[in-house]
Amino acid sequence: MHATICDLITDLVQNSIEANAKEITLNVEETKTNLKVVIADNGKGMSAETLEKAKDPFWSDGLKHKHRKVGLGLPFLFQTSEMTGGNAQIESEESVGTTVAFNLDQTNVDLPMFGNFTTAMITLLTYGFDGNLKIERSVDSKSYTVSKQELQEALGDLNDLESLTLLKQFIETNEEEING
Amino acid sequence: MAKMTLEELRNLRESKKKEMTQRDDEGKSAQIIIGMGTCGIAAGAKDAFDAFLDELNSHNVTDTKITQTGCMGLCFSEPTVEVDVPGMPRVIYGNVDDKVARRIVKEHIIGKALVSDHIFDKPAADIIK
Ligand SMILES: Nc1ncnc2c1ncn2[C@@H]1O[C@H](COP(=O)(O)OP(=O)(O)O)[C@@H](O)[C@H]1O
Ligand SMILES: [Mg+2]
Repeated sequence: MHATICDLITDLVQNSIEANAKEITLNVEETKTNLKVVIADNGKGMSAETLEKAKDPFWSDGLKHKHRKVGLGLPFLFQTSEMTGGNAQIESEESVGTTVAFNLDQTNVDLPMFGNFTTAMITLLTYGFDGNLKIERSVDSKSYTVSKQELQEALGDLNDLESLTLLKQFIETNEEEING
Repeated sequence: MAKMTLEELRNLRESKKKEMTQRDDEGKSAQIIIGMGTCGIAAGAKDAFDAFLDELNSHNVTDTKITQTGCMGLCFSEPTVEVDVPGMPRVIYGNVDDKVARRIVKEHIIGKALVSDHIFDKPAADIIK
């Protein structure tokens, strides 16, 4: 199962990638009391019927993983927000895109650990898909934004070791700055 | 470390490129593909990723590519890692944790010998040269 909030975010962005999104925006805003996450994509979207099913933990579209008929991403989100007094919404329109948004109470003792944001972002930025991913990140009043496109322009192929190493330093130092 | 800007990132990348001497096996780099599906994440694929990055850097094996992919459909032995070294059979390793990742770098990628006790899938013996 998911260990951290960052695992959950990774899974939700992977859903966007798997829905063939070409443009994904991930917004993660933390304050002392609230964690707000919004993931917006222009992927294939869901019909009202699919959206209803997607909230069911014992349903997955049956195409992604032939061995597993159980979806984990969305149900885990709803379970976490219910358990901790947060809220979560999904809006989706077929062939337009999907927006998943949630707010979690940072002071709730049952909230899973936040996890390692840097590693999660490296996973998503180097994931083999050719769309763009824009990251908007803030902690209290400090923030940074960066996109996969900008990083590719600066580093070239993000998957080679030199790029990966620099990419890790880039995200790490930006995280240090806003968390400091 | 001070916060890095995109400009610094670009410059660092440029200077690293110049530093790198031409290799005679250019273009033939090793490939590592890490299965990172929900199951892979839970099973510690991220630790494996960090271990690969660290071990490859400490041995200066810069001509390597690391790609991450979703679930490879082998959840029961996640994290799974596919390793493709030019001139060697393509291999899928199962249950790759930090330690196994470091062994793959030292034994497989540098030493050109398979880490047999963690092989999940490889071509039949008669097609290995
Ligand atoms: N961003 C999205 N765009 C389109 N469809 C989505 C999106 N997110 C989820 N879905 C649909 O909801 C289903 C359930 O998602 P999830 O709970 O993450 O489980 P899984 O990804 O393992 O199938 C997916 O299989 C997919 O059909
Ligand atoms: Mg999913």
